[in-house]
Amino acid sequence: MPCPQRQFTSTSITALLGNGLLCLFLAACSATPDTAQTDSRDPYETTNRQVFRFNMAVDSAAVEPVANAYRHSMPEAGKTAIENHLDWTGLPATTMNSALQGRFENAGLSVLHFAINGLTLGLAELTEDPREVKPQDFGQTLAAYDVPQGDYLMVPLFGPNTSRSLTGRVVDAVTNPLSLIKAGGTATVVRSLQPPARVVVVRARQFEAINDVKYNAADPYARTRSLYFQGRAGRINARVGQPTANRTSDDLFESFFEAEK
Amino acid sequence: MSRTFTPLYVPTLLFSRFFGAVSLMIMLMMMVLPASMVRADARIDAANAVITAMASDMDSYLSTDAGDASARLTTVTRMLDTYFDLPTIARFSVGPYWRAASSEERQTYNETLRLAMIGTVVNNFDQLKGLTFTPTDSLSKGDNMVLVRGHFSDKSGQRSPVMVGWRVITPDDGTAKILDVEIENISMLVTQQQENLAIIRQNQGRFGALIEAMKAKQTAK
Repeated sequence: MPCPQRQFTSTSITALLGNGLLCLFLAACSATPDTAQTDSRDPYETTNRQVFRFNMAVDSAAVEPVANAYRHSMPEAGKTAIENHLDWTGLPATTMNSALQGRFENAGLSVLHFAINGLTLGLAELTEDPREVKPQDFGQTLAAYDVPQGDYLMVPLFGPNTSRSLTGRVVDAVTNPLSLIKAGGTATVVRSLQPPARVVVVRARQFEAINDVKYNAADPYARTRSLYFQGRAGRINARVGQPTANRTSDDLFESFFEAEK
Repeated sequence: MSRTFTPLYVPTLLFSRFFGAVSLMIMLMMMVLPASMVRADARIDAANAVITAMASDMDSYLSTDAGDASARLTTVTRMLDTYFDLPTIARFSVGPYWRAASSEERQTYNETLRLAMIGTVVNNFDQLKGLTFTPTDSLSKGDNMVLVRGHFSDKSGQRSPVMVGWRVITPDDGTAKILDVEIENISMLVTQQQENLAIIRQNQGRFGALIEAMKAKQTAK
């Protein structure tokens, strides 16, 4: 009789280990005194800044050079195949979260795209318009149920999050049906390579933008935090059907003109 | 002759007074609303005009751009000074700390920020090549601003279209000028403000620390 632990695939073990590390990190976070905080959404700023420095060091030592090599050395067809495959592996999470949010059309479309592109394991895009499926994560689902975003957390290797979006990432990782399928050695290796490949692809896609923050900002940490909050708010707004509403900016500009009167 | 009050007299009187008041309000609104709508339309037209002029100016420069750094610097400087409201950008970008800054600090900050903006555009100039701005719609945002929305698309089709919004200040007694650019719903000015506030707060509210940090970054480049 097989040992119960063998029921876990290596990816789910990786996810559990990652989640355990995240829990340890959260336990290690110490609140920054109010006077030292530069943003009320960031109560662990001192710890977060230390983690950010660590992440930047990892980026300089490994991620940036690999992403740069990927941009310049990988043929376009190879890049397209890898990116298609990574997008395809995210479709089950989109299906689940779209359904939980009551966005059944998006859920149906993602099932359709997953099934059709599954013929090539997502390496080739066989559907007409891949952009018609809007990626959804569990963090957005929590936002749909008015769960507060929580505190800002800079997580080692995972980057910026709020406690709500971090919970979403954990839930998406654990519930992804692809990670639960038992498969042979090659499939396991492919699945293990997906998280680092995703990091490299995202870094390569936003190479100039991330470098601009990293090398040109007077305070890269604060700029990253601002970009994260605004970008995340944009995705949450898109979920509620207002993709072009930027309420944060609207409020700030209104307050500014009120104060100038 | 004494007046007789029927049971319906009071409700009828109240109703007729209420109806009269509502009619009066509607008439007043009909007189006031068209004027404000005309003003809003004029502000939207002014905002569209400044964006169209800037996009056309940039297009004509890009079509002849040979990569000469000093020509780029001259063009970017002229365009920023012409189309952007730099004094308001400077005030917004430091939030409440503007009031605490001395006049000398304000002047130094204005110039430092202007140079930082010029440097950012010049350094990223190559990314602008091949892009075309297509406006989609314009929205009035309060009494002071119009948001002109559209997208940048790559003529070669290699890059995906990028959603862009220009916040334009439209004063009643002045020229419309650009205050902010939103790219994919991320405001460049709000980002700048939040970064600046973090630097000042990390230095116990000292405005000069921001200027020093910005100058140090400019010198390092």
